Amino acid sequence: MTKAILIHARDNTATLFGEAQAGEPVSIVRGSGEVVEELVARQSIPVGHKIALKEIGEGEQVFKYGETIGVATQMIHKGEHVHVQNVVGAVFPGRPIPSSRKTG
Amino acid sequence: MSDREKMEFWGYERPDGTVGVRNTLAVFGAGSTAHHMAVRIAEEVKGAVPLLFDEALLRLREDRERARRTIVGVGHNPNLAAVLLVGFGGGHMDPVDLAQEMAGTSKPVEVVTVAECKGFSQAVDKGLSTARQLMSKISRAQRQPFPIGHLTLGVKCGGSAGNSGLLGNVVVGRAVDTLVANGGSTIFSETPEVIGAEHLLAKRAVNDRVARRVREVVERMEARIRRAGEDIRGSQPTDGNLKGGLTTLEEKSLGALAKTGTSPLSGVLEYGERPSGRGLFFMDGPAGPINIMVGEAAAGAQIFIYSLGGGLYSSFRNLPGWGIGGFPIGPVLSVVSNASHPRDEEEEQFFDIHCQGVLDGLESIDHVANRFLQELLAVASGKLSKAEISLPHYWVPLESYHTGPIL
Repeated sequence: MTKAILIHARDNTATLFGEAQAGEPVSIVRGSGEVVEELVARQSIPVGHKIALKEIGEGEQVFKYGETIGVATQMIHKGEHVHVQNVVGAVFPGRPIPSSRKTG
Repeated sequence: MSDREKMEFWGYERPDGTVGVRNTLAVFGAGSTAHHMAVRIAEEVKGAVPLLFDEALLRLREDRERARRTIVGVGHNPNLAAVLLVGFGGGHMDPVDLAQEMAGTSKPVEVVTVAECKGFSQAVDKGLSTARQLMSKISRAQRQPFPIGHLTLGVKCGGSAGNSGLLGNVVVGRAVDTLVANGGSTIFSETPEVIGAEHLLAKRAVNDRVARRVREVVERMEARIRRAGEDIRGSQPTDGNLKGGLTTLEEKSLGALAKTGTSPLSGVLEYGERPSGRGLFFMDGPAGPINIMVGEAAAGAQIFIYSLGGGLYSSFRNLPGWGIGGFPIGPVLSVVSNASHPRDEEEEQFFDIHCQGVLDGLESIDHVANRFLQELLAVASGKLSKAEISLPHYWVPLESYHTGPIL
């Protein structure tokens, strides 16, 4: 079964160690190798890409490494591919996202 | 044997107390017009390498000073047992002046100029005889054991993909933490890659002043990019990063920072600046691998780590030096996160440490990290890195870092 690593307890995404086809189960593991849960990939997701571990509402923060890596631009369902189609870079103190950074 | 006893390497002690991991005679081409001379001399003397600094003559003062600091800093690098500076003589990179600034280390430093020899061929001949004498002298040096704390690593990552922040960079980060905990140093750079993660780096600073310097250096580069009419947050991550699974600049930056481990940040350096103490240091610098390693070498790094993701360089499994060319100042070790499928013999020739076993469920990260540390100590003790083996000739101009226009 394809594995995906959960780096930090706060994360709502895990990173795939292999490619997952739509409908396939994915094993979510911690760095130590302990299995956290199994979930089904709703879409095909390439290796190195992220899978959603829970529902992430539009405007909610996306976490990896226990830190914000961006904000959801639309509702992301558990098991969906988390990438540029549904995430945009987050705002850092004093630094708004330039309008040119909007993704389609 | 205790762990502490195993944490040592065999190096060459220099007169100033620093320790080299290589025993090189460096022939500096001081000024781009002197490259031909430096190459001619280095080619004829076993163990000599040409250091070709590609510094344009007419630059603003800030760039001239940075270039000079870098060249002099490289001259101080403990891997260089002796230095021969060659050039035409005079100019803002006058070999005679540079030699005086390098002499502080008490290592042998000699100068040969065309002006002094009254001709190019005469200068090459004199350079050759000087180089032969220097090599005869330095080749007597013998390696001795030193604690790991005498090492300074220069680290860099490239071809980042979703996994590099989870594998290769984590493996490198573990070694960095071990080194720093044992009194060693690590220097990392690439300011554009810290953009988006500066708040995390600032949190690791040993004091408020260092935290403030992190923000200053990052903001300075961002302002410079903005003044040029570019928006880095619009151009990063690159197409290759996106394809590899990195979604945002923050994610890329966080993954890149993983190679610095979890050690506290002891200081922030200007490009080519030598740190005053030991520990983990962030150096202002651009994204190019050679530019970064030259700056790190000027700051005293003896050994260099290139952590490769699944991106461009590592997708060509048989590319000597992964496309960046040979690096003459010290060994470069590569750590590759994603091996090809099926794994082939070619990549064994060109990459030092593979993390693929973790992806395949055959090895833990801890195991790879330990393997890497042992390899690092072996290479520090004289084992050749894969890049040293596959690139015996050094033809890549050593670019430093310029922020202003050429006048």
